[in-house]
Parts: sequence; structure tokens; C-alpha cells
Amino acid sequence: MIEIDNVTRRYGAKVAVNELSLHIPAGELFAFLGPNGAGKTTTIKMLVGLLRPSSGSIRLCGYDVSERHHAANRLLGYVPDVPYLYDKLSGLEFLHFIADMYGVDKRVAEDKIAEQIELFELRDFVAELTESYSHGMKQRLAFAAAMLHDPSVVVIDEPMVGLDPRSVRLIKDLLRAKARGGQTIFMSTHLLSIAEEIADRVGIVDQGRLQFLGTIDQLRERLATHERSLEQLYLNFTAAELAEQRGNASADAAAPSPEAEEAR
Amino acid sequence: MSTLAGRIAEGPVAEAAPRLEDTLTPQAEARLLWRIRAQMVRTMFVQALTTARLRVLLVVTLSVLFWYGLFRLFGGGFEFLQTTIDHDYTFAQTVEAIYNVFFASLLMMLVISSAIILYGGLYSSAEAEFLLTTPVRPERIVLHKFQEAIVFSSWGFLLLGSPMLVAYGLHGGAPWYYYLLLPAFMAAFVYIPGGIGAIVCLLFVHQLARVRRMAIGLMVVAGLLGALAIVWSLLGETEGNLLTAGWFQEMLGRLQFSEHRLLPSWWLSSGLLEAARGDGGQLGDRPWSESLLFLSLLISNGLFLRVLAVALASRVYRTSYSELRTERARRRPGRRFWLDAAVMNCTPLLAPKMRLLIVKDLRLFRRDPVQWSQFLIFFGLLALYFANIRRFSYDVNYTAWVNMISFLNLAVVGLILSTFTTRFIFPMLSLEGRRFWILSMLPIRRESILWGKFLFAALGSAVPCCLLILLSDYMLRVSPLVLAIHQLTCVLLCVGLSGIAVGLGAKMPDLREESPSKIAAGFGGTLSLVISAIYVILIVLLTALPSHFYLAVGNAGVDGFRIRLMLAGGVLAACLLGAAATLVPMRMGLKAFRDLEF
Repeated sequence: MIEIDNVTRRYGAKVAVNELSLHIPAGELFAFLGPNGAGKTTTIKMLVGLLRPSSGSIRLCGYDVSERHHAANRLLGYVPDVPYLYDKLSGLEFLHFIADMYGVDKRVAEDKIAEQIELFELRDFVAELTESYSHGMKQRLAFAAAMLHDPSVVVIDEPMVGLDPRSVRLIKDLLRAKARGGQTIFMSTHLLSIAEEIADRVGIVDQGRLQFLGTIDQLRERLATHERSLEQLYLNFTAAELAEQRGNASADAAAPSPEAEEAR
Repeated sequence: MSTLAGRIAEGPVAEAAPRLEDTLTPQAEARLLWRIRAQMVRTMFVQALTTARLRVLLVVTLSVLFWYGLFRLFGGGFEFLQTTIDHDYTFAQTVEAIYNVFFASLLMMLVISSAIILYGGLYSSAEAEFLLTTPVRPERIVLHKFQEAIVFSSWGFLLLGSPMLVAYGLHGGAPWYYYLLLPAFMAAFVYIPGGIGAIVCLLFVHQLARVRRMAIGLMVVAGLLGALAIVWSLLGETEGNLLTAGWFQEMLGRLQFSEHRLLPSWWLSSGLLEAARGDGGQLGDRPWSESLLFLSLLISNGLFLRVLAVALASRVYRTSYSELRTERARRRPGRRFWLDAAVMNCTPLLAPKMRLLIVKDLRLFRRDPVQWSQFLIFFGLLALYFANIRRFSYDVNYTAWVNMISFLNLAVVGLILSTFTTRFIFPMLSLEGRRFWILSMLPIRRESILWGKFLFAALGSAVPCCLLILLSDYMLRVSPLVLAIHQLTCVLLCVGLSGIAVGLGAKMPDLREESPSKIAAGFGGTLSLVISAIYVILIVLLTALPSHFYLAVGNAGVDGFRIRLMLAGGVLAACLLGAAATLVPMRMGLKAFRDLEF
């Protein structure tokens, strides 16, 4: 599970993530939504241990990411928006490397790798060097690598970018199935429709602050009340913050707390 | 939808969560990273041997030729010293001084280069970012990148140092174990500056957020002033004339700082010189054991520094990575920078769109410290040397000597410029890569883009190079005629080298690669460097030889029409060669660039 407590991350004077608190239990698929520069990627980078919070703490399965990063990363599967693959390794060699790095038993690893190749339809190109892969092929291989060691927590940055419709369907089914199997999935996306379709809960972040936290049903309730589309609602959440910024209003005073949003 | 995908949708897939006891040991992590590195190197070799045989052949042949050329040069140098000094003890002292200074300079350069390479590898490489999100220990990542930095920073040492050391061994009749110990000494030595570089890099980045920029600036200025003071004391005027016994003794005295007993470079040179000495002949004199003692000293210190670097990495690498990545980027002022405005104002004859392209390239150059810092270091050192040329006690009244030195200076400027055009100008077009749609969509002819890059390179290099040569000529007090020939030759070098780099860069682009050093190290870059070096040598020879004869005849009081004709012919031939070196590659590049599809 993921526990983010009062996390703030500054870039110099700029506050990228502002007192963010989130608790995501095991078996939940959480979608993190927000416009460009809202603080999604900074949050993800803190989750995977690339950045340290300026204040607050993040724990994955009970391990503090800053203090016990080795243990925390061991339980984590991460798919970045632009995955890094070794150009001069084949897809198969890369999968073996990942399996060995996470200490997956040799015999188990063989079965797991075969399963991932089948699942992500990598067979046609897995023996080729990754330098010849398209973005979609790289993304599928990155998913396969991230799922290889059955991580307890999966963090995905923009999962559907560059994927064809067939792969998008596959990833959606996979993520839902993994969540049902007890894994915690943290997914950032721009696409409201994906969150609507597969997420258990969504968080809408803007200007580093959580603007809405709740289930899809709660979001739908808001929709029914205001007789608006989800997209309109989402734009309203983010536009309100922007208007406040422009009006020189204090963001701290104006932004609703996540708890208040959730209660609503 | 595949059957398996369907199966996933029906039920849970995740099995047992990973157990922490499965965590790899540090040794297993090391083996794993070595394994993938070996796999990648093997793949690169196989690829090179199957798809780029010509390139491999060219690189191997050139490397062997270069090594052999250096070997002969050093062999000749040792012979020259032996015959000039003609005194065994002073010769031995001189060789020791050469070794000490060479290795001390190398020590400094390897510390700086490994620190810079490691900085790039640890803090801005995609691989480091990837590894930091895995369970690999931070100290293992640092060691993984440290090994890379050692290889990248020290291959030049192997290429430059080994011919000198082998030549000395053969010249002095060194025993067999000298050659056996050479690789061990070299490997042990490079580990020390590599380790220091790693510690400097980690500490510097770790402290960066805490130390004020002003303090860093002051530290850099103090360091530069210190280096300048050392160079100044070395270049101070000598009592005796160049290459006389007095001059040698005085220079040896000045170089004594390199014999400090705590310098690893002294351990290296002493160990090698002991090994080269062979049997002492006297009872109890065992040079090989002395040599092994120095080798042990190098190895133990190298390993100690490694332990320090690992301990430091485990404490600060992750924190410093995070701190560096979250530094606020400096805001760029909205107004135009004075240099950009000056370029726009000084080139009224060019089309406005081309001027904009030149200013764009200038901006990219200015904002890339790797480019301008290397440019500044090399040309700064050259300027320092030229400014102090009289301190070497060159006899400026001896015309042939002055002429030779002045043309050698010109050749050095040309050769350094050729490495810059290959390293920075050749990859410019390839680097547009994925951004190329921006340029190709602009309402501008493709030819103009290429000519814009050519003008940027030619104008940008001509100004500093011509000023440097002017400084050298002023200090050497060359005649106005030679000065004019030098300026013309310098312009020809800048224009020709820019033409070769831009033209071949367009003819052989690598639009997939994002690293300029890798593009420059490719086949196209290597070819560009070789052609550039040949071009520099030819141009300098075409103008230097007739000048030499012209001045020699003039000094003898003979006014030879044929010599003047030869001088004019040499200059004309150089101009024609310059035009060909500019136009032929540019023509090839323009054609290839017009036909290029994105």
C-alpha cells in the first residue's frame, strides 16, 4: 500500500507538490489526474525514490521511501512515460536482467518471462535489440519488465501514451486484474476516460494541491448535481485554481482540503 | 483479444509478493551489471564487424598508425635527448623529470575528466535514473558508472602513454618484466585520479545546494589563479639559451614540484623507472622489488580511494541526485542578449531568416557549458602559451626558427580547431533529429539551414583563431608578409574545416542518436576528423614551405623571382584547396540534405 503524509516538494521557491496526503490501500487502482505542471510527475518521482520530499513522508508497504529505499524499491514496479531500455540488449535479455535484479528464482523467472511475452505479445520482436523498437513496443516491454517480479505496488506514468487500441485494452484489463489480485496501482494520466473506466478512486491535482479525492461514484454524484460532463467538472477543478492564482488570491486559503473534498 | 488477456480479465494474477530475503548481495549486483555490460559490448562488436567493417578497419588502422607514429616520435625524442645532453646522469634526470611532469599533468587531467564524465553518468544519464528506481544499491550504481568513467577518461592515456613508455624501455634496454608491469602500473594509476574524481564529483554536487554560488565562483577563480601562478613560474625567463646545459638544469629545478613524494604520479614514474633499470649489478640492489613496492603503493591507494568513494556514495548519492534535480531552473530574461543583437546587427548582408538561424545556434552553444568550457580551456591555454612565447628564450632574431615556430603554432590552432569542428559542428545537423520537423516546416529553403550552420561555424571560429595567430605573430615579431599569410591561412583553415564538418554532417547524419559525442565518434565523425587533419597539414605545408624558402633566400641577400613565384603559387594552391575543401563537402551535404526524408 501507499501512504503519502503531508508531502511537500519545492523546486527552489516554487512549490511543485503542496502538503499532499494520500492513503491508497492494497488492491486499489488509483488514478492521479491533473493538467501539465500540476505536480503529477514530481509525486511519482518521489514515490519511486528519485526525488526526496522537502517535508513529509512516503511509505510503500510500510517502508519509508527515503530511508529504506532499497526495501521499498524491491516491492515496486515502475513504468515511466518514456521507458529506459538498454539499446544494445534484446528484449529477452532485458527481461532476464530485470528478473535477476529482483532476485526472481531462475526456474520461476523462465516461466514468468514466457508468460509476459505471451501476455504483451512480444514474441515477434523480443529477440531483437531494443534500439529497433517503436515507442509502443518499448512501452509493452517496460510493462512486462515491471510486472515480472509481481510487485506489491505498481506506479505508472501516463500508461496509454503511444499504445495502439488493442494494447490499451490489454493494459486496462491487466491493471484491473492486478488490483483485484491485491496489488496497489498508482496511475497518472491526462485521460479522464481511462480513469472513469478502470479507477477505484481518482485524485485531481493542480498547482501541487489536491483538488478532489474520491471514488468515481462520488465524482459522478458531483456530475449529477451540477449536470455537467466529467470533462467539464475536471476543467472546473483546475480552472478555479488558475483563476485564483491570477486573482492573486492565496492558494493556501482558497484550495479545499482533500479531506473536505472526500467528505463532500 | 488474446486468450491470456481474457484470462487476466477474469481473475487475479498476482501471486506471492516479492520477499525481501530475495534481495541480491552486493557481489551479485556487481556480477549482474558486469554481465549486461559484457552483453552490450559483445553486441556492439558483432554489429560493428557485420555492418561497419570499413569503419572498424579505418579506426583500427588509424589507431595503429597513430600509436606507431607516436612510438617513433618518442623514440626519436629519447635519442635526441641522449645525444644533446651526452651525460648519462643528466639524461636520467631529464627523463625522470619528463616522466614526473607528464604523469603529474595526467593526474590532474584524469581527476578533472573522470569527475566531469562521472557527473554526466550519475546525474544526467537515463541509465542512472532507471537504476535508481530499481533495488540496486546507490553505491553499486556509482561504481558501475565509475568504471565507465575510468575507461572513457583513460583511453587517451593508454594511447599517448604506452608508446612513450615502450619507446623508453627499448631505448634503455629495459628487462622483460618492465613490459609485463606496464599495463599493471597504468591500470593501478588511473584508479587513483578516477577515485579522486568520483569523490570530488559526489561532494561537489552534494554541497552544491548548501554552498552559495558566489562561494563556488570564488573557489573556481582561486583555483584558476593558482594554476596560472604555477604556469607563470614554469614559463619564467631562463638564464641560458634554449636546450643548453644551463637551460636544462634550470628547467629541472623548476619542475621539482612534480617529484613530491606524496604524488601518485611520482610513485608511477619511480616504479616504472626502477623496472626499466634492470639488474642493479650491486649486491642488494633489486630494482624489480622497488618497482613492485611502488606498484603496491599505487594499488593500495587506488583501493583505499575506491572504498572512500563507495562509502560516500552510499550516504550522499541519492540525496544529491534529488537535490540537483529539484534545483529551480534559472529564468531567462525576455530581452535579447547583447551578443545575439550584435550578431544580428553585424550581418546585414545575410537574409534575416539565416541570421535568426545563426543566432539560434549561437544561443545553444552559449547555454551548453560542455561546448564553451572546452573551447575556452583549449584556446585559453593556447593564448597563455602564445603570450609567453618569448619567455622560452627563442632567439627571435633567427628568422628560420621564428618562421618554423610560427607555422607550428598555426598548425596547432588548426588541429585543435579540427577536433572542435568534428566534436561540435559535425553533430549539429544530426542533433536536430526529432526536432527536425520544426526546421523543415519553416518557410525557408533547406540550403539556407545548411549555409546558416556553415556561417555560424566559420565566423565563430575565425574570430578567436585569427586573434590567437595575431598574438603569436606579435610575440614572435614576424614580418608583415608572414603575418598576412598567416591570417589568410587561418581564414582558409576556419572556412575549410567548417565546410568539411557541416557538409559531411549533412551527408552522413545520425538522426536517431542524441549524444553529440557518440555522433562524433561514429564513422562520419571519424572520417571528418581524418579529412580535417589532412587538410590542416596540407594547407600549412603549402604556405609554410614557400615562406621558409622565401625568408631563407631573403636573409642570404638573394632576390629570387622563382622563390617569389613559389610563394605566390603556394598561397594560390592553398586558396584553391580551401575552396575545394569548403565547396565539395558542402555540395555533397546540400544534395543529401535536400533529399533527406524525415
